[in-house]
Amino acid sequence: MGLKNLAMAVALLLASPAHADVAGAINNRILPDLGAFRDATRTLAETAAETCAPETLRPVWNAAFDAWLPVSFLRLGPAEDEGRILAIAFWPDPKGIGARQQRQLLQSQDAVVGDPAGFAERSVALRGFFALERLLYPTEPLTGDYPCALIRATAADLARMAAEIDQGWRDGFAQTLLSAGQPGNSLYLTEAEAKQALYTQLMTGFEFTADQRLGRPLGTFERPRPERAEARASARSLRNVELSLQSLLAFGEALAGPLPETRADVAQALTAAAALKDPDFSGFAQPQGHVRAEALLGLVRTAQDSAGAEAGAALGVEVGFNSADGD
Amino acid sequence: MATRRGFLASFAAALTVPRLSWADAGNPGFLAAAKQGDGFILCGLAPDGQIVFRIPLPARGHAAAAHPIRPEAVGFARRPGTFALVIDCARGEIAHRLTPPEGRQFNGHGAFSADGLLLYNSEVVAETSEGRIGVWDAARGYARIDEWPSHGIGPHELRRMGDGTLVVANGGIQTDPADRRKLNLDTMRPNLTYLSPEGALLDQVTLHPDLHQASIRHLALGADGTVACALQWEGDPAEAVPLLALHRRDHPVVMCPTPENEAWAMKGYAGSIALGGDRIALTSPPGGVVQVFDTAGNFIETIRRTDASGVAPLADGLMVTDGTGAISRLGPDGLVPLQRHDLAWDNHLVALG
Repeated sequence: MGLKNLAMAVALLLASPAHADVAGAINNRILPDLGAFRDATRTLAETAAETCAPETLRPVWNAAFDAWLPVSFLRLGPAEDEGRILAIAFWPDPKGIGARQQRQLLQSQDAVVGDPAGFAERSVALRGFFALERLLYPTEPLTGDYPCALIRATAADLARMAAEIDQGWRDGFAQTLLSAGQPGNSLYLTEAEAKQALYTQLMTGFEFTADQRLGRPLGTFERPRPERAEARASARSLRNVELSLQSLLAFGEALAGPLPETRADVAQALTAAAALKDPDFSGFAQPQGHVRAEALLGLVRTAQDSAGAEAGAALGVEVGFNSADGD
Repeated sequence: MATRRGFLASFAAALTVPRLSWADAGNPGFLAAAKQGDGFILCGLAPDGQIVFRIPLPARGHAAAAHPIRPEAVGFARRPGTFALVIDCARGEIAHRLTPPEGRQFNGHGAFSADGLLLYNSEVVAETSEGRIGVWDAARGYARIDEWPSHGIGPHELRRMGDGTLVVANGGIQTDPADRRKLNLDTMRPNLTYLSPEGALLDQVTLHPDLHQASIRHLALGADGTVACALQWEGDPAEAVPLLALHRRDHPVVMCPTPENEAWAMKGYAGSIALGGDRIALTSPPGGVVQVFDTAGNFIETIRRTDASGVAPLADGLMVTDGTGAISRLGPDGLVPLQRHDLAWDNHLVALG
């Protein structure tokens, strides 16, 4: 064990002068990206406090969403606590729970918008980016003062959660990962478990983009479901796929060192994505658009396989024995 | 009745002086299969997580059934199961090899009668996934002596209750006999079936029609006749449904939801379940979590543990095994690591006795 670890550590040092490992992933990607997400959502909340004009808020909301994608696949630690990650991006929502709850709030002009602590306790479906998207890109015009108050409350709640995640990582969770295997660390009993935890985020991140962001609107050739696309109203469905792939590659390389095959696969997927020229995936309803999107999905899955193999080999971990194959 | 029968059985067993007992196998409290290196083993575990025996297995197992008296474990192959092995845990040998009848497949789990005379196991008609309970004569070399319908599709775990009643989780999923591909997810309708010790249908319950895609797969028993069911959601993963259902005969099924913030933590998948003391625990390897409820089905907490899978009752809580090789105790002070072994614990942890 000891010798094997030592050999692996030497191999990693030789292979990656940038020193990719758990610390590298935390210091070079996770903490800076969380800080950027925190700042972007704070800007959104501050802007919303000044104006509710959609034309002013939309670019700021989009900038915050862009900042979300590099950390959106880190479903562990402070992001999981108190359902934060669910509330920040409650999607997919196949039964339209978020839209229904928001309609009720608008109809009843619920006073919770003036009570940040109360708002934070409301359903995860009612909050976050997609709640704001429905308010900034409404299907029917919103009237009166209440929608503005709701935009402000939702943006402030989002900024609060982003700040809490950032704080949670800096104040303890980063150290929990870095101290894996040391006495007193009851979450990660070995260094390998911390590596595996981050490796799993990489894998599930690719999987989410493949199965949910692409697979869900693809449906089947006979029955495409473009109306299921993520962030369709704001027409950033394709952008989310592109940014997530870039973010996953950057994270994977910060964690495991150069991933040449993954890099090539992601580049190919990005080329295919750009060629779709279909920002909200409405073209998935056309036979040609569907076929090309299916090809893109295949490329994303190939990239996932490469990342799994390359990062797994570099880190000496794999998907959990039972997670991989249960019954 | 059950106690009388049990008394007579143990009396008879004492008179005939069994050649070996579980003491000869190191008195394990638990059985667990594992992957070690490229091979597979069956281990006996003490309550402190120490390994008291390890026996090589020819292939990956799914779950084991422990003989109530003799130091024998029956390890069932993973689906589609073509064999089960009776392992002499004292001698470290394979004592018998069970093969399903033509056209049948084992489905991963089995249970002994209280007197240890009979072994029951879940199996399917390979072509249709119609459920069967195989009955084997454990006193006479595990001869196949009977079979009964399980009254459902794709039975998975079955448990013997204190009064001898068998309770069967008919998971509802029809699978391709060759590759386990799921064939009927749109129409599946799992059920929980109670059979008499002679195989007569006593009772059957289903979940609400909205939950027809929640496969009932694993079971834990309470002393009061409660059957705790662990579910695996085959519907849209974006929908969060309860994964714990409680049932007592002549009572309605109770679904046990979690708070919204915890509702996706299991990823729709409960891999194992145990009821111990005043707690029920469900594990989710894909979620890397253990969810804990009280015995009335009220949610208590979610605990993170990498690749957590096996779970079984301990005297003072529950024992949890995982794919990293750790064995932990879940008690009032949370999840406390007991031991770490250089292997990967497989799906299930089985308590003896």
